[in-house]
Amino acid sequence: MIHFEQVSKTYPGGFQALKQVSFRLEQSEMAFLTGHSGAGKTTLLRLISLMERASIGRVAINGHDLRKVGRKQVPYLRRDIGMIFQDHRLLIDKTIFDNVALPLYIEGYTQGEARKRVQAALDKVGLAGKERHYPMMLSGGEQQRVGIARAIVNKPPLLLADEPTGNLDPKLSMEIMRLFESFNDVGVAVLIATHDLGLIARMKYRTLTLKNGQMINDGLAHHSEQLDGAVL
Amino acid sequence: MNSGKVKISAWRRFVMFWVHNLQQALGSLGELTRNPWASMMTIAVLGLSLTLPSTLYVVVKNSQAATVGLSDAAEISLYLRKDLKQHDVETFAKRIELRNDVEQVQIIMRDAGLRDFRESSGFGSALDYLDENPLPDVLVVLPQADFKSVERAQGLLAQLQQEREVSSASLDLQWLERLQALVRFVEDVLGALAVLLCAAVVLIVGNTIRLMILNRRDEIIVMKLVGATDAYIQRPFLYTGFWYGIIGGVVAWIATAILVFWIARAVSGVTVLYDSSFQLSGLNFTELMILWLVAVVLGLIGSFIAVRRHVAAIEPR
Repeated sequence: MIHFEQVSKTYPGGFQALKQVSFRLEQSEMAFLTGHSGAGKTTLLRLISLMERASIGRVAINGHDLRKVGRKQVPYLRRDIGMIFQDHRLLIDKTIFDNVALPLYIEGYTQGEARKRVQAALDKVGLAGKERHYPMMLSGGEQQRVGIARAIVNKPPLLLADEPTGNLDPKLSMEIMRLFESFNDVGVAVLIATHDLGLIARMKYRTLTLKNGQMINDGLAHHSEQLDGAVL
Repeated sequence: MNSGKVKISAWRRFVMFWVHNLQQALGSLGELTRNPWASMMTIAVLGLSLTLPSTLYVVVKNSQAATVGLSDAAEISLYLRKDLKQHDVETFAKRIELRNDVEQVQIIMRDAGLRDFRESSGFGSALDYLDENPLPDVLVVLPQADFKSVERAQGLLAQLQQEREVSSASLDLQWLERLQALVRFVEDVLGALAVLLCAAVVLIVGNTIRLMILNRRDEIIVMKLVGATDAYIQRPFLYTGFWYGIIGGVVAWIATAILVFWIARAVSGVTVLYDSSFQLSGLNFTELMILWLVAVVLGLIGSFIAVRRHVAAIEPR
């Protein structure tokens, strides 16, 4: 699903955010991406979601070599990636329904056709009945779940989450993680960037660790016997 | 993996494309009411900018209509040599009248001419000091209808000047040429003014749309993140430009009508003095439609320029 091959990213100005990173995330696999602030987590996610391009090396998503994806095709590739952000990035002047339905509208669904999908997505994140609310009327945890509903509403094969629990207390964080697990159970590949090491330890999933732009560990965070054949 | 995705047929996609266009068109019409002041100002600027060229156009159109009648009144005056006998003059007049480009010839004998001059000029007593009549016999030649245009009449004038009996000839057209040159000048000024005002309209619409795009920057970023194409994001803004044109065009109609009404009153004040029944005609249906089309096209160009530059420039960071 995600394939990094000797990927380096140097920003204009000379800062090298990623150094020869290689890894592979298979279909319906779930993994954490961790490391200190500035270790390159965000850059890695940005390479996947085509907000940045790799300086050297090859990134492939869902079988598409991103070097060959032109500006015009970027939107179509992004439709296969559900993205979840720490700050939710909800449209505050639109209802919850319209926020969640946005990816469907963009793909050409009419409002009537989108209704069923949106209901299902909101059901899934436990927000059924809040369609007519506005984001400001919801709590932080609820807003994050709206963001998740928007990410999954068009059933993408890959979910990317950037610090999805950054602003939430441990109990809510765990609920959000269980939600990701349930998507993973139905075959969605999930990559979660977080520095919440406690959470990672409890979840026991594969963990990719970045330090100063290099991948220093790929496996379970504490018992790294399950190396999964990925290149270090 | 993609089992959940609904496969959408090409026909369905096509239909939905238009359904969405309609939704976005109506949506951006609603958007205009969200910040009515900015929209109204832009629409007013668009409409009023088009009012000036369209009103000038009405003026030029009417002055052309007025001068078309005048150019038909071309008369050629032939001043004959003084040594001709009255009999020669009459023979010559007959010969000229037989030409197929001449409608009618009127003879003004020198004595009759002197009499007229004495009566109408007020120099009667001065003429008494002259030993002999200074005036020549004159033939007033009225060309056939087909030969009344300035160029044709001038050709006829040149031919008649060659005649042995004629000492000099004149076609009193200079004032008409001056008037036509003036009309052409106004037309040119109108054209330059129209181009300038249209450019201003494009820039103003473009700037308003640019501000709208920047105001909705966060929304555009989110849309791009969830996979919206530039075309999808641009469409509401293009429709905004379209509505600016539609409404601005109507503003231009109304403002032009008011101005033409105002000018018509002034013109009728003048024409009454000249005992003429000249009527100022406003914009006809075709011209109204053209004005509307121009407004819409300008609105679209303005928004297109803004959208091309700014929607592409906003990228998720």
